[in-house]
Amino acid sequence: MTKGVKVCLTVVVVIFIVSVSASIFIMLLSEKSNSKKASEENYAEIVQGNEILYRINLSKEPDRKFRVEYSGGGWNEITIENSQIFISDADCSDKTCIKTGKLRSEYVPIVCLPHKLVIRFGEQDE
Amino acid sequence: MKVRRLTELSLLTGLALIIFVVELRFPDILPIPGVKLGLANIITIYAVYKYKAVEVALLVLARVLLGTLFAYNFSALIYSVSGAFCCLVGMLLLRRIVPIRWLWLCSVMGAFFHNTGQIAAAVVVMGSFSVIAYYPILIAAGCIAGAFTGICAHLIINKIPEK
Repeated sequence: MTKGVKVCLTVVVVIFIVSVSASIFIMLLSEKSNSKKASEENYAEIVQGNEILYRINLSKEPDRKFRVEYSGGGWNEITIENSQIFISDADCSDKTCIKTGKLRSEYVPIVCLPHKLVIRFGEQDE
Repeated sequence: MKVRRLTELSLLTGLALIIFVVELRFPDILPIPGVKLGLANIITIYAVYKYKAVEVALLVLARVLLGTLFAYNFSALIYSVSGAFCCLVGMLLLRRIVPIRWLWLCSVMGAFFHNTGQIAAAVVVMGSFSVIAYYPILIAAGCIAGAFTGICAHLIINKIPEK
Protein backbone atom coordinates (compact mmCIF):
# COMPACT_ATOMS: atom_id res chain seq x y z
CA MET A 1 0.00 0.00 0.00
CA THR A 2 1.54 3.28 -1.07
CA LYS A 3 1.24 6.54 0.81
CA GLY A 4 -1.20 7.94 -1.77
CA VAL A 5 -3.53 4.98 -1.33
CA LYS A 6 -3.44 5.34 2.44
CA VAL A 7 -4.37 9.00 2.22
CA CYS A 8 -7.20 8.27 -0.23
CA LEU A 9 -8.50 5.42 1.89
CA THR A 10 -8.58 7.66 4.95
CA VAL A 11 -10.32 10.43 3.00
CA VAL A 12 -12.94 8.01 1.67
CA VAL A 13 -13.63 6.53 5.11
CA VAL A 14 -13.92 10.01 6.64
CA ILE A 15 -16.24 11.24 3.85
CA PHE A 16 -18.43 8.18 4.21
CA ILE A 17 -18.72 8.37 8.00
CA VAL A 18 -19.37 12.12 7.94
CA SER A 19 -22.03 11.84 5.22
CA VAL A 20 -23.79 8.93 6.92
CA SER A 21 -23.87 10.69 10.28
CA ALA A 22 -25.00 13.93 8.62
CA SER A 23 -27.82 12.04 6.86
CA ILE A 24 -28.94 10.48 10.15
CA PHE A 25 -28.68 13.87 11.84
CA ILE A 26 -30.87 15.51 9.18
CA MET A 27 -33.42 12.72 9.49
CA LEU A 28 -33.53 13.04 13.29
CA LEU A 29 -33.87 16.82 13.01
CA SER A 30 -36.75 16.31 10.60
CA GLU A 31 -38.58 14.11 13.11
CA LYS A 32 -38.23 16.74 15.81
CA SER A 33 -39.32 19.64 13.66
CA ASN A 34 -42.22 17.51 12.51
CA SER A 35 -43.66 16.97 15.98
CA LYS A 36 -43.16 20.63 16.80
CA LYS A 37 -44.81 21.72 13.59
CA ALA A 38 -47.99 19.75 14.14
CA SER A 39 -49.43 22.22 16.62
CA GLU A 40 -48.17 25.41 14.98
CA GLU A 41 -49.11 27.10 11.78
CA ASN A 42 -47.45 25.59 8.79
CA TYR A 43 -46.31 27.83 6.00
CA ALA A 44 -45.21 26.20 2.80
CA GLU A 45 -43.33 28.10 0.13
CA ILE A 46 -43.40 27.13 -3.50
CA VAL A 47 -40.28 28.47 -5.15
CA GLN A 48 -39.31 28.43 -8.79
CA GLY A 49 -35.86 29.67 -9.66
CA ASN A 50 -35.29 32.64 -7.39
CA GLU A 51 -38.91 33.59 -7.11
CA ILE A 52 -41.39 32.61 -4.41
CA LEU A 53 -44.56 31.82 -6.35
CA TYR A 54 -46.84 31.00 -3.44
CA ARG A 55 -46.72 31.17 0.33
CA ILE A 56 -49.46 28.97 1.70
CA ASN A 57 -50.68 28.59 5.26
CA LEU A 58 -51.15 24.85 5.23
CA SER A 59 -53.14 24.63 8.45
CA LYS A 60 -55.82 26.95 7.07
CA GLU A 61 -55.73 25.99 3.43
CA PRO A 62 -58.67 23.95 2.10
CA ASP A 63 -57.89 20.77 0.19
CA ARG A 64 -57.18 21.59 -3.40
CA LYS A 65 -55.13 20.80 -6.46
CA PHE A 66 -53.38 23.24 -8.74
CA ARG A 67 -50.77 23.29 -11.44
CA VAL A 68 -47.51 25.19 -11.54
CA GLU A 69 -46.31 25.80 -15.06
CA TYR A 70 -42.63 25.96 -15.91
CA SER A 71 -41.62 28.63 -18.39
CA GLY A 72 -39.34 26.22 -20.24
CA GLY A 73 -42.29 23.89 -20.81
CA GLY A 74 -43.80 21.42 -18.39
CA TRP A 75 -45.87 21.49 -15.22
CA ASN A 76 -46.22 20.08 -11.73
CA GLU A 77 -49.56 19.36 -10.14
CA ILE A 78 -49.48 20.23 -6.46
CA THR A 79 -52.03 18.83 -4.03
CA ILE A 80 -52.89 20.13 -0.59
CA GLU A 81 -54.70 17.58 1.53
CA ASN A 82 -55.32 17.55 5.29
CA SER A 83 -52.84 20.41 5.77
CA GLN A 84 -50.14 18.50 3.95
CA ILE A 85 -48.60 19.39 0.63
CA PHE A 86 -47.17 17.14 -2.06
CA ILE A 87 -46.64 16.93 -5.80
CA SER A 88 -49.25 14.57 -7.17
CA ASP A 89 -48.38 14.66 -10.85
CA ALA A 90 -45.80 16.10 -13.23
CA ASP A 91 -44.85 15.76 -16.86
CA CYS A 92 -41.13 15.40 -16.24
CA SER A 93 -39.29 12.24 -17.10
CA ASP A 94 -38.05 11.13 -13.69
CA LYS A 95 -41.06 11.82 -11.41
CA THR A 96 -38.72 12.01 -8.44
CA CYS A 97 -40.73 14.90 -7.01
CA ILE A 98 -43.83 12.67 -6.84
CA LYS A 99 -41.95 9.84 -5.21
CA THR A 100 -40.56 12.17 -2.55
CA GLY A 101 -44.09 12.21 -1.14
CA LYS A 102 -45.45 14.69 1.35
CA LEU A 103 -43.44 17.61 2.64
CA ARG A 104 -42.45 16.54 6.15
CA SER A 105 -39.19 18.14 7.07
CA GLU A 106 -38.00 21.67 7.46
CA TYR A 107 -34.63 20.65 6.11
CA VAL A 108 -35.51 18.33 3.27
CA PRO A 109 -37.58 20.11 0.61
CA ILE A 110 -39.47 18.56 -2.27
CA VAL A 111 -37.36 19.24 -5.33
CA CYS A 112 -38.18 18.98 -9.01
CA LEU A 113 -34.86 19.45 -10.75
CA PRO A 114 -36.18 19.57 -14.33
CA HIS A 115 -38.68 22.34 -13.53
CA LYS A 116 -36.48 24.13 -10.99
CA LEU A 117 -39.24 23.86 -8.43
CA VAL A 118 -38.73 23.68 -4.66
CA ILE A 119 -41.44 23.26 -2.04
CA ARG A 120 -40.28 23.90 1.51
CA PHE A 121 -41.51 25.09 4.87
CA GLY A 122 -41.14 28.83 5.12
CA GLU A 123 -41.12 31.71 7.52
CA GLN A 124 -44.35 32.80 9.13
CA ASP A 125 -43.90 36.49 8.49
CA GLU A 126 -44.39 38.03 5.15
CA MET B 1 -6.00 8.73 -33.25
CA LYS B 2 -5.49 5.29 -34.66
CA VAL B 3 -8.48 3.47 -36.13
CA ARG B 4 -8.02 0.66 -33.63
CA ARG B 5 -8.17 3.10 -30.73
CA LEU B 6 -11.22 4.84 -32.18
CA THR B 7 -13.03 1.54 -32.65
CA GLU B 8 -12.28 0.45 -29.09
CA LEU B 9 -13.54 3.74 -27.73
CA SER B 10 -16.72 3.56 -29.83
CA LEU B 11 -17.29 0.04 -28.57
CA LEU B 12 -16.87 1.19 -24.97
CA THR B 13 -19.25 4.11 -25.57
CA GLY B 14 -21.79 1.69 -27.00
CA LEU B 15 -21.41 -0.62 -24.01
CA ALA B 16 -21.77 2.26 -21.55
CA LEU B 17 -24.91 3.44 -23.35
CA ILE B 18 -26.45 -0.03 -23.27
CA ILE B 19 -25.81 -0.27 -19.53
CA PHE B 20 -27.17 3.27 -19.09
CA VAL B 21 -30.40 2.54 -20.99
CA VAL B 22 -30.95 -0.74 -19.15
CA GLU B 23 -30.43 1.03 -15.84
CA LEU B 24 -33.11 3.58 -16.75
CA ARG B 25 -35.61 0.73 -16.42
CA PHE B 26 -34.55 -0.05 -12.85
CA PRO B 27 -36.93 1.19 -10.17
CA ASP B 28 -35.63 4.06 -8.05
CA ILE B 29 -33.79 2.94 -4.95
CA LEU B 30 -34.45 6.11 -2.96
CA PRO B 31 -36.93 8.88 -3.77
CA ILE B 32 -34.15 11.45 -3.87
CA PRO B 33 -33.10 13.27 -7.02
CA GLY B 34 -29.74 12.02 -8.22
CA VAL B 35 -29.49 8.74 -6.30
CA LYS B 36 -28.71 5.89 -8.67
CA LEU B 37 -26.25 3.08 -9.13
CA GLY B 38 -24.54 4.58 -12.15
CA LEU B 39 -23.55 1.23 -13.61
CA ALA B 40 -22.36 2.90 -16.81
CA ASN B 41 -19.44 4.21 -14.77
CA ILE B 42 -17.97 0.70 -14.78
CA ILE B 43 -16.93 1.57 -18.33
CA THR B 44 -15.72 5.05 -17.36
CA ILE B 45 -13.49 3.80 -14.56
CA TYR B 46 -12.12 1.06 -16.82
CA ALA B 47 -11.30 3.65 -19.46
CA VAL B 48 -9.70 5.97 -16.90
CA TYR B 49 -7.09 3.32 -16.18
CA LYS B 50 -6.62 2.02 -19.72
CA TYR B 51 -6.82 5.10 -21.96
CA LYS B 52 -5.36 8.58 -22.30
CA ALA B 53 -7.06 11.53 -20.61
CA VAL B 54 -8.35 13.02 -23.88
CA GLU B 55 -9.73 9.67 -24.98
CA VAL B 56 -11.61 9.17 -21.70
CA ALA B 57 -12.98 12.70 -21.91
CA LEU B 58 -14.30 12.04 -25.43
CA LEU B 59 -15.83 8.76 -24.30
CA VAL B 60 -17.60 10.36 -21.34
CA LEU B 61 -18.78 13.33 -23.41
CA ALA B 62 -20.29 11.02 -26.03
CA ARG B 63 -21.88 8.88 -23.30
CA VAL B 64 -23.46 11.84 -21.52
CA LEU B 65 -24.76 13.56 -24.67
CA LEU B 66 -26.14 10.39 -26.29
CA GLY B 67 -27.47 9.16 -22.95
CA THR B 68 -29.41 12.40 -22.50
CA LEU B 69 -30.78 11.97 -26.01
CA PHE B 70 -31.84 8.35 -25.36
CA ALA B 71 -33.39 9.14 -21.98
CA TYR B 72 -35.08 12.17 -23.56
CA ASN B 73 -34.25 14.09 -20.42
CA PHE B 74 -32.67 17.33 -21.61
CA SER B 75 -33.33 19.21 -18.41
CA ALA B 76 -31.01 16.79 -16.62
CA LEU B 77 -28.16 17.55 -19.04
CA ILE B 78 -26.62 20.33 -16.95
CA TYR B 79 -26.50 18.10 -13.86
CA SER B 80 -25.05 15.18 -15.83
CA VAL B 81 -22.42 17.32 -17.52
CA SER B 82 -21.24 19.08 -14.37
CA GLY B 83 -21.24 15.80 -12.44
CA ALA B 84 -19.37 13.95 -15.16
CA PHE B 85 -16.85 16.77 -15.57
CA CYS B 86 -15.99 16.91 -11.83
CA CYS B 87 -15.86 13.11 -11.66
CA LEU B 88 -13.58 12.87 -14.68
CA VAL B 89 -11.12 15.53 -13.55
CA GLY B 90 -11.00 13.99 -10.08
CA MET B 91 -10.43 10.45 -11.29
CA LEU B 92 -7.83 11.46 -13.90
CA LEU B 93 -5.85 13.17 -11.15
CA LEU B 94 -6.35 10.26 -8.77
CA ARG B 95 -5.12 7.64 -11.22
CA ARG B 96 -1.63 9.10 -10.78
CA ILE B 97 -1.57 8.24 -7.08
CA VAL B 98 -3.98 5.31 -6.83
CA PRO B 99 -2.68 2.16 -8.54
CA ILE B 100 -5.01 -0.04 -10.55
CA ARG B 101 -5.23 -2.59 -7.71
CA TRP B 102 -7.07 0.05 -5.69
CA LEU B 103 -9.40 0.97 -8.49
CA TRP B 104 -12.53 0.85 -6.35
CA LEU B 105 -11.08 3.60 -4.18
CA CYS B 106 -10.76 5.83 -7.23
CA SER B 107 -14.34 4.92 -8.12
CA VAL B 108 -15.67 5.94 -4.70
CA MET B 109 -13.83 9.25 -4.92
CA GLY B 110 -15.20 9.67 -8.43
CA ALA B 111 -18.74 9.19 -7.11
CA PHE B 112 -18.03 11.81 -4.46
CA PHE B 113 -16.79 14.29 -7.08
CA HIS B 114 -19.78 13.49 -9.28
CA ASN B 115 -22.32 14.21 -6.55
CA THR B 116 -20.47 17.36 -5.55
CA GLY B 117 -20.60 18.62 -9.13
CA GLN B 118 -24.27 17.78 -9.39
CA ILE B 119 -25.22 19.55 -6.18
CA ALA B 120 -23.15 22.58 -7.17
CA ALA B 121 -25.02 22.69 -10.48
CA ALA B 122 -28.34 22.27 -8.69
CA VAL B 123 -27.56 25.16 -6.31
CA VAL B 124 -26.63 27.41 -9.25
CA VAL B 125 -29.59 26.40 -11.43
CA MET B 126 -32.25 26.49 -8.71
CA GLY B 127 -30.73 29.62 -7.18
CA SER B 128 -31.44 28.16 -3.76
CA PHE B 129 -29.41 26.40 -1.12
CA SER B 130 -32.29 24.24 0.03
CA VAL B 131 -31.13 21.35 -2.16
CA ILE B 132 -28.00 21.06 0.03
CA ALA B 133 -30.09 19.06 2.51
CA TYR B 134 -29.82 16.18 0.05
CA TYR B 135 -26.03 16.40 -0.20
CA PRO B 136 -25.06 14.07 2.70
CA ILE B 137 -27.55 11.41 1.64
CA LEU B 138 -26.35 11.71 -1.93
CA ILE B 139 -22.73 11.28 -0.85
CA ALA B 140 -23.46 8.30 1.41
CA ALA B 141 -25.40 6.57 -1.39
CA GLY B 142 -22.72 7.63 -3.89
CA CYS B 143 -19.94 6.01 -1.82
CA ILE B 144 -21.78 2.69 -1.80
CA ALA B 145 -22.66 2.89 -5.50
CA GLY B 146 -19.09 3.96 -6.34
CA ALA B 147 -17.61 1.04 -4.42
CA PHE B 148 -19.99 -1.34 -6.20
CA THR B 149 -19.19 -0.10 -9.71
CA GLY B 150 -15.51 0.01 -8.79
CA ILE B 151 -15.53 -3.64 -7.73
CA CYS B 152 -17.39 -4.56 -10.94
CA ALA B 153 -14.76 -2.75 -13.01
CA HIS B 154 -12.00 -4.48 -11.03
CA LEU B 155 -13.45 -7.90 -11.83
CA ILE B 156 -13.70 -6.97 -15.51
CA ILE B 157 -10.19 -5.56 -15.79
CA ASN B 158 -8.72 -8.83 -14.52
CA LYS B 159 -10.54 -10.76 -17.25
CA ILE B 160 -9.39 -8.60 -20.15
CA PRO B 161 -6.01 -9.67 -21.53
CA GLU B 162 -3.32 -7.03 -21.91
CA LYS B 163 -2.62 -5.98 -25.46
